[in-house]
Amino acid sequence: MMEISSDVIRGYNDTMILFILEKEPSYGYEISKQIKNISDGKYLIKETTLYSAFTRMEKNGHIESFTSDQDPEGNGKKRTYYRITDAGKEYYRAKCDEWGLTKEVVERFIEH
Amino acid sequence: METIKNYLEAMFAGMPDTPEVRRARAELLQMMEDKYNELIAGGQSENAAVGTVISEFGNLEDLAEDLGLTKEVQEFHDTESIHPRRQISRDEATSYITNRIKKALFLALGVMLCITSVACPILSAEGSENLVLAGPAFMFVFIALGVGFIVYSSFVDSEWRFIRRQLCFIDMNTASYVKERRRSFEGIRALCVTLGVILCIVCWVPCMLFATTSRVTIGPAIMFLLVGIGVFLIVYANNASKGFDILLRLNDVKTISGNYGEPAPETVKYRSKAAETVVVCYWPVVTSLYLITSFLTFRWNLTWIIWPIAAVAHRAVVINCRKYDD
Repeated sequence: MMEISSDVIRGYNDTMILFILEKEPSYGYEISKQIKNISDGKYLIKETTLYSAFTRMEKNGHIESFTSDQDPEGNGKKRTYYRITDAGKEYYRAKCDEWGLTKEVVERFIEH
Repeated sequence: METIKNYLEAMFAGMPDTPEVRRARAELLQMMEDKYNELIAGGQSENAAVGTVISEFGNLEDLAEDLGLTKEVQEFHDTESIHPRRQISRDEATSYITNRIKKALFLALGVMLCITSVACPILSAEGSENLVLAGPAFMFVFIALGVGFIVYSSFVDSEWRFIRRQLCFIDMNTASYVKERRRSFEGIRALCVTLGVILCIVCWVPCMLFATTSRVTIGPAIMFLLVGIGVFLIVYANNASKGFDILLRLNDVKTISGNYGEPAPETVKYRSKAAETVVVCYWPVVTSLYLITSFLTFRWNLTWIIWPIAAVAHRAVVINCRKYDD
């Protein structure tokens, strides 16, 4: 199976995470699982990459972390959860627009 | 799961010990644990699950950049490449501990022989002319043997000298193994030290018992034997257990791996250099006083009184000389 070059996708890790967090607050492993499922298993985000993204986005004010011991399935395990901020939502929209443009430009140079 | 924990610990071993790094380690462990549990629940074997989790983990260089630790991680790599830390494996730790116990045994034996040597001239002091000469002769034989053992004890661990000269480290596995060994030795140590202290405290009792008999010198002779055995137990236990602490303090305290061991215990502080000298010289001076007065006066039935008095005075001397920070 062809693998996605991490250099190319790096700029969009944040976008994927924000996409998931826009629906509901979530935690590390759950987010990585969703990325895997939504991409049909074509993209596996590494734990270090994911945690790096969390710290970076939290510093930039795009997400906030909080601890909770109540996950959606009702398991009582204490975990760090992340939720999207208004700045994060704004950033997400901007990234979506940027991708639209990027895709349009790159597409013109691709032979099918 | 143990393998995963160890893998993560090994990766973080050289990172600085800061709240950010601790948090990163905890979060990453949580993610790995979640993934591992799900793989196991999905029917994977333990080995396969561990393999998957570790292969998908990523590397710390990514992380260092976002944690703002690039400089620290780089510095760590640089010092490591100039002065690489030598790893002490679990097997090496085991033989180091065995070696250390052997060293402690010879050192303690040596000290015991030196202390008990004094009993020879005391015993022979009241005997016939030949015996009076034999006493000091035996004393010197004891001292010679004792010094021999002490010198030998310093050679016993010569192959391990590098552990003090070179930067070394142990991994978390070895650290928990050493801690386990220390825990099981703790009981022996406590017993030895307690017995040793009791022997040193009651050492003057024989003097009192024999004071009224015709052979007054038996008391002091037994006293030195008891002190010798007591000191043997204390020196042995403390020296043998020092090996565990040396191993547990090998890692750089500024890094995450520095927590594997424990911080060095507080050292005893004295009010001044003079105060320290007083405390250090206290027992040798008392012993000399006792021997000199006893041999000069030959009143063995009375001179033992020096010991209980000295013991009480010792407490006062120590309290006055030590510096306590509250």
